[in-house]
Amino acid sequence: MDKKLFKENLEQIDAYLKQEGISRRDAMKMMGLGGAAMMMGSGIATEAKAASSNAKGKILIVGGGLSGVATAALLMRTLENPDITILEPNPKSVSYQSGQTLVGGGVWTNSDIEYMTADFMPDGVKWIQEKAVEFDPEKNTVKTDKGQTIPYDYMIVAAGLKLDFARLEGLGITESITSRGDSSAVKKIIGQNGLCSIYFGDGATDTWTQMQKFVADAKSGKKVKGIFTDPDTPIKCGGAPKKIMYLTDARLREAGARENAELTLYPNGGKLFGVPEYNDAMVKQFATRDMKYNYNHNLISVDPAAKIATFKKHWLEKGEWDDVLEEYEMVPASEKVEVPYDFMHITPPQMAPEEIASSPIGSDKGWVPVTQETLQHVKYPNVFAVGDVAALPMGKTGGSARKQYRVLVENLVAVMEGKKELPAKYDGYTVCPLITSLGTVMLAEFNWTGKPAPSFPLDPTQERWIWWLLKVYALKPMTQYGMLSGRA
Amino acid sequence: MKKSLSLLLGASLLFIMTGCDKKEETQESKMTYKLSTAEVYEQMCAKCHGKNAEGNTEKKGPALNDQTIQELRLGITDIKMGGSGGHSSGTEHEVMEHNMKKIIEKGMDYDTDAMAQYIHDNFNKK
Ligand SMILES: Cc1cc2nc3c(=O)[nH]c(=O)nc-3n(C[C@H](O)[C@H](O)[C@H](O)COP(=O)(O)OP(=O)(O)OC[C@H]3O[C@@H](n4cnc5c(N)ncnc54)[C@H](O)[C@@H]3O)c2cc1C
Ligand code: HEC
Repeated sequence: MDKKLFKENLEQIDAYLKQEGISRRDAMKMMGLGGAAMMMGSGIATEAKAASSNAKGKILIVGGGLSGVATAALLMRTLENPDITILEPNPKSVSYQSGQTLVGGGVWTNSDIEYMTADFMPDGVKWIQEKAVEFDPEKNTVKTDKGQTIPYDYMIVAAGLKLDFARLEGLGITESITSRGDSSAVKKIIGQNGLCSIYFGDGATDTWTQMQKFVADAKSGKKVKGIFTDPDTPIKCGGAPKKIMYLTDARLREAGARENAELTLYPNGGKLFGVPEYNDAMVKQFATRDMKYNYNHNLISVDPAAKIATFKKHWLEKGEWDDVLEEYEMVPASEKVEVPYDFMHITPPQMAPEEIASSPIGSDKGWVPVTQETLQHVKYPNVFAVGDVAALPMGKTGGSARKQYRVLVENLVAVMEGKKELPAKYDGYTVCPLITSLGTVMLAEFNWTGKPAPSFPLDPTQERWIWWLLKVYALKPMTQYGMLSGRA
Repeated sequence: MKKSLSLLLGASLLFIMTGCDKKEETQESKMTYKLSTAEVYEQMCAKCHGKNAEGNTEKKGPALNDQTIQELRLGITDIKMGGSGGHSSGTEHEVMEHNMKKIIEKGMDYDTDAMAQYIHDNFNKK
C-alpha cells in the first residue's frame, strides 16, 4: 500500500467509526486483532536487532517497574551469559499506571490494571525484594534496607519517581509515596470529601467515587465547581492533569448536567502544552467544551474540611529599563489566591526518590544526570538511568521509556564490550494519548525538536476515534506483553 | 460492524506498526541563525551572566561556569521550551523565559546544544 492510499484509508476508517459508532465487543475484537498485529510488528523489528553478545559482567537494576523489567528482559535476550539482579520492594510494581486515568474516569477498575511482578520477571533474573538505600559508585556497591551490600560491575537506575503530597500544606501528609506502592499515608485525606488524585493506585479508584458524587450533585441542580491542578515540578505524563478534566467534562455531559458545573484548570505554567501545534489544538478543545483555565497558579495548600485551595499566583512586573534587552527588566511577583471547590483533582509535586537524589549518583535537582542521547551517567560510565528517574528534557512517560530502554541496552552492551563509541541515540521521543472525551483521543507525539513527531500519516492535532481504541484496547497489551518482555 | 472493515483496520495497524521503527525521512529544514553562538553570547548572555559566565549580581544573572554540559543543555532547553514536561507545568525560570523570548524577537536565536557547548568549553571552571 503506498503512503497516500494508506492515509486515505485511515481517514475513512476514522470517519466511519465516528459516524457509525462501534460496540464495545466489536472494538475489543478488532483491537485484539490490531493489538496482536502491532506487537508482532514491533516484536519482529526488535528481535532482528537484538544482536547477541558474549560480554560478561554483574548487572544491577535498581527499580523493577516498567523500565527496569523491560530493560532486564531485553538484556536477557541480548547477552549470552547474563548476570542480572533487580532490586524492587513492591510485589505489584509492574501494574499499568497509564490506566489509572481510565480508572479515575470510571472506564476501567483497578483490577484491569493491577499486575503481579512475579508474573513478568524474566526467567533467569535474580529478584531481590528489597529497596536500595545507599549508593557507593566509587566502590560499585549498593546497600539495601535489609542491610545487604550488593556489588555490581554495571548499574541501571530505573527507580521512577515519588509523589510529594507532603509539600502541600494543610493536608497533614508527611511522607512521599510511589504510584503503585503503599499509599496509606495519603489516601486517608486524598480520595475523600471531593479531594482526589489519579496519580496513585487507590487514589484513582477513589477519584471515580468522588467524580460520581460531583456529577450527581450537578445533576440534582446544584451549581458546582471542579478544579484541576498542575504543579511546578516535572511530572510523569504531562497530559494526565488535563485528561482527567476532559473525562470529568464527558461524565457531566453524559449525565446532562454540564451546565451546572464550572471546570477550571490551574496550572503552574503559562500554556496548555509546550508544543505550539498541540497547544493551539487544546486551546480550541477547551473553548468548545467551556473548560476554563487560569495560568500561573501553583497549588501550595489545601483546607480539606472547608474545601478551599490556596494557590501561589505569579507574574512578572515591569522593573527598570534594561539597555541590554532594550526592554523593561522583569521582576517576579506573586500573591496567594484562595479558591473554593466542590471537587479538586490534585497532580502532586513530583521528585526523584530521596535516597537517590541525595546520593552521589543524584544531582541538585534530584534526577539522575545522564547524557541525554546515550543515557549514560555523566560521572560514572558504568552507570545508566532510564525512565522517570533520569534527568532528561521533556517526557516522563511509558512511551518515552519504550524508546529509551532499547537505546540503553545497546549502549550498555557496547560499554561491556569495551567499546569507546556508544552506538545508540535517544531523540527525546515521547507520546501522550490525550483523552479528550469518552471516545476520542489526540495522539500527541513529539521530541526534543519541540515539533510534532507523528508515527502515523495523519494530522496529529485531530481528536480521533481510532486513537481512543488504541488507548483503550491496544496500548495495555502492548505495554504488558510487548514492552515488559523486551519485545516492543 | 462489518467484518471486512475490522480486517482492514487490523491490517492497517500491522502495516503502520511494522513501519514504525523505520526512520521517516522528515522534511526537517535545517535551522539557520543570523549570528554565531559566540556573537549571541557576547552581545546578550554576557551582559547578564558575565563575560566568562561568572555571573552578574547587578543583573541578577546566575553564574553558568559551574554547570556541567548536561545541566546547561537541560537548563537552556527547559527555558526555550517553557518547561521540561512539554505541557503546562512551567519552569522555575520565568524571568529567563521572558528574556529568551525577547532575545529571539531581536533576531538572535541560537542552537541550544551549541550554546551549552560554547559556555562549557570556554568558561567552565573545572
Ligand atoms: C496517572 C498516570 C497516567 C499516566 N499516563 C501515561 C500515558 O498515558 N502514557 C504513558 O506513556 N505513560 C503514562 N504514565 C507514565 C508511566 O506510567 C511512567 O512513565 C512509567 O511507569 C515509568 O516507568 P519507570 O520504570 O521509570 O517507573 P515506575 O514504573 O514507576 O517504576 C519504578 C520502580 O522503582 C521502584 N523503586 C523506587 N525506589 C527504589 C529503590 N530505592 N530501590 C529499589 N526500587 C525502587 C519503585 O517501587 C517502582 O516500582 C502515567 C502515569 C500516571 C501515574
Ligand atoms: C537581561 C538579562 C539576561 C540576559 C540577556 C540573559 N539572561 Fe539568562 N538569566 C537571567 C536571570 C535574571 C536568570 C535567573 C532567573 C531565572 O532563571 O529566571 C537567568 C537564568 C539563566 C539560566 C538558568 C540558570 C540556572 O540557575 O540553572 C540559564 C541556563 C541562562 N539564564 C542562560 C542564558 C543564555 C544562554 C543567555 C543568552 C542567550 C542568557 N541567559 C541571557 C538574566 C539574563
